[in-house]
Amino acid sequence: METRHKVAIYAMMALVMIFFLGPIFWFILLAFRHPSEAYTLPPQLFFEPYLGNFGDTFVDPGNNAPQLLSSVIVSTGATLLSLPFALAAAYALSRFAMRGKEFIMNWYISLLIAPPIVFVIPYFILMSRIGWAGSYRAMIVTLQTLAIPFSVWLLKSFMDEVPLDLEEAAWVDGAGRFAAFIRIIIPLALPGIIVTSMFTFVFSWNNVIFPLALSKQSTTTLPVGTISFFASTGVYWGHIAATAVVAMLPPMIIFLLLGRYVVRGLTFGAVKG
Amino acid sequence: MPNRYTFQRRLPYLLLAPSVIVLLALILYPLAFALRNSFWFWNLQMGPAPLYYSGLDNYRMVFQVTPFAVALKNTLLLGFLGTCAQFWFGMGIALLLHTHLRGMGLMRALLIMPTTLAPVVAGFLFRYLLEPKGGVLPWMLEGIGFPVPPQGFLGNANTALFSIGLVDTWQWTPFFAIVLYAGLLSINEEIKEAAQVDGASGWRMFWSITLPLLRPIAAFLVMIRFMQLFNSFDLVFVLTSGGPGTASRTLSFNLYREGLVNYNIGLTAAMTWLVVIIVSVIINLYLFFIYRKREW
Repeated sequence: METRHKVAIYAMMALVMIFFLGPIFWFILLAFRHPSEAYTLPPQLFFEPYLGNFGDTFVDPGNNAPQLLSSVIVSTGATLLSLPFALAAAYALSRFAMRGKEFIMNWYISLLIAPPIVFVIPYFILMSRIGWAGSYRAMIVTLQTLAIPFSVWLLKSFMDEVPLDLEEAAWVDGAGRFAAFIRIIIPLALPGIIVTSMFTFVFSWNNVIFPLALSKQSTTTLPVGTISFFASTGVYWGHIAATAVVAMLPPMIIFLLLGRYVVRGLTFGAVKG
Repeated sequence: MPNRYTFQRRLPYLLLAPSVIVLLALILYPLAFALRNSFWFWNLQMGPAPLYYSGLDNYRMVFQVTPFAVALKNTLLLGFLGTCAQFWFGMGIALLLHTHLRGMGLMRALLIMPTTLAPVVAGFLFRYLLEPKGGVLPWMLEGIGFPVPPQGFLGNANTALFSIGLVDTWQWTPFFAIVLYAGLLSINEEIKEAAQVDGASGWRMFWSITLPLLRPIAAFLVMIRFMQLFNSFDLVFVLTSGGPGTASRTLSFNLYREGLVNYNIGLTAAMTWLVVIIVSVIINLYLFFIYRKREW
């Protein structure tokens, strides 16, 4: 390739990177600015870092620290609850020829792309009727409308890649279907199971509609917690940025760890990266 | 052994059953709840239970009391423009990544960062950047002589919805870029070489070979993104709360307002069914036209 073309491509790529990463970078800086400097123009790239925003939100008085714990509980709970259901369904869809397979796969995905707000309002009423209002259970169970269909799709794509020969060899050796599933499929699909769990965790972590409607103050999650700073007394950008930066870290780290599986996870296994 | 045979035949359905039963319970309850209550007058601020049977009143009220038609128009506009912008912008970046110059791998890994954010966080990020007094973006745009509305881009009726679309485009273009890039990698080089031998130019090759071969992936991406945009709630909530007035109100935000702010459960139930019908029509039309030939 000619140097001229290379330079043009790098220049365009530089603009692309600035456009997509610049705003995140600027927002992270905001979390380290003194509140009085949030609106300084022209923008200051270099300044004395200030840790008070994190101190206020997570240490003293630290109203957002319990929200961090809630986020961990809800996301982990939703992920763990979805796994057994999804493993069984993904194994069935991956290993058996059956009527209506295409219909069932489409049905799962139609749940994934349905508007969640439609379900949330009836859940809101239901949860107070059965005494689950504001509980972690309420969020963990209702998040399954997204977690199970997503995990089924992604796990199926990983199980499809475990060679049938290995499983058949185990049957010949006298192992039953279940034993073969435990001894062959689970270990070989383990990376896929871990990847799926990490994605389910991230999607539950980033979800706002369910906790917004179904949590109470003591069980609300971190992304919802950031919203509470929009008080009538004014917008505390330092606090918002500090909590939002903490809320954005786990998904970012998980996506960096997942590397080559990102494409597959984001497309529910439909596109192999 | 006939028993074992029957068991083997039923096994896949037995394995599917738990997830299907849980999901059916989780979606049929809200739908049945909404269907029943759409015919009742029920406002939580007036009492914990439905007050009286009101026939089709709630369905009429959806159009009279709430800006349903405006919200539908906004939602469709956001969906079409957003998906379109993200697809083509993402395609351009995918082609840049596909040059495989040094450093593209690292850039691809970092590029996905906006997509990892919770939409609420992305919303806050741009609310800060777009702040009319002191925000960096209006400051930069004014610097180059671009007209900035005095109420800011989020506070102006002509730019609010467009700004939401732009933030969503910022967040999801990287997703299109890296998935389409993966699609480009999967295209067989021999086909391209054959076309080159036949004298096809770069553009011709893109339109006649690359794009058609990417069609299955593109169709899938467009469907899920269009629907996610159609469901837009988090971004709207944080950026504009549907305002100013009803300028950026979407169907999801309209449902939220009536259900969880005004506590008008009957009316929300009626609106839920209208939205469910609209969504079913869109998904089925799409599956019918795009997915007729594709099997999972």
